[in-house]
Amino acid sequence: MKPEKLELTVVVNGTPTQLETPAQAELRSVVTRALAQTKNSGQPFENWELRDVNGQALDLGKKVGQINFASGSTLFLSLRAGVGG
Amino acid sequence: MTAPGGELLADPAVSRAKFAREIADFRTVESEYRRRGILLLGAEFPTVSLAFAAAQIAPSPMVFGADLDFTNYDLLPPAVTLVNPFTREPYRARELPTDLPRLARVNGKPVRREEVDKLLAKHRGNIPKHLGMLRQRLLVWHDPDQVPFLCLPGVRAYHEHPEHSGDSWLLHRTSGAGRLATIIEHLYRFGVLTVRGYAFDVNIQIGPGPTKQPQAQAQVHLRGLQIVPGGE
Repeated sequence: MKPEKLELTVVVNGTPTQLETPAQAELRSVVTRALAQTKNSGQPFENWELRDVNGQALDLGKKVGQINFASGSTLFLSLRAGVGG
Repeated sequence: MTAPGGELLADPAVSRAKFAREIADFRTVESEYRRRGILLLGAEFPTVSLAFAAAQIAPSPMVFGADLDFTNYDLLPPAVTLVNPFTREPYRARELPTDLPRLARVNGKPVRREEVDKLLAKHRGNIPKHLGMLRQRLLVWHDPDQVPFLCLPGVRAYHEHPEHSGDSWLLHRTSGAGRLATIIEHLYRFGVLTVRGYAFDVNIQIGPGPTKQPQAQAQVHLRGLQIVPGGE
């Protein structure tokens, strides 16, 4: 049986923050909370991308419980690369 | 390394404190970075030395090293140089193991990495040219003997380049664009996640053998890494 709540560590631009989230919550809410906890308010939400430890981009519309995170997993929330070259 | 003109522009004590914060944050999750193939080889102000391995394939190759220079940080953004991970010598353009490719557009629209994966699966590893894929390299050079520079906002060379004089670092300074973790993520995403495997050259010759029966000989040479741009 899947747990109802999960503990996650989200590394926001290099700064780790921990949070507990219901399995029914969307990843979008995880991002919102992680940004708030690390006081990252200066960038539009769309400028951020969430990836798992293997570098796979995560769909923020999915629920936490839909992805097989183990409790205590680490996710990486980073700024998208700007236009370069 | 010093600022343009050789000057120290920021109080070294401030830059040193901010450098220490960047390193402390890295150390907090260092084991997670290591799992992804990102190794901290040294951190002595003003330089951070990193190595990037492609942990997603086996055996895992060491792809490149990177030195970040935090002199005058964060009045100026860090300078980033791709280096040989063993000798720490900067790569010249002709020696680069990867040019940090970015797949900017397919069919005229920005694409995400997962869409690229679907296209690759659909077209058996080769996205047809008619789809209009635009491959952009994030490492820029003008001569093959030149040391390339990473051309992204948040990196010193980008903001010092005359073509980007309208995009000042001060517009990005508080965004996190020049933070160690952000630059690491860009290098990882475009330099490591784009490594999909090894590329081989196979040469097969068919001819009469010693008994005059047809005989096939095959020679296989490792050419390098198979690198596929990863999308937006």
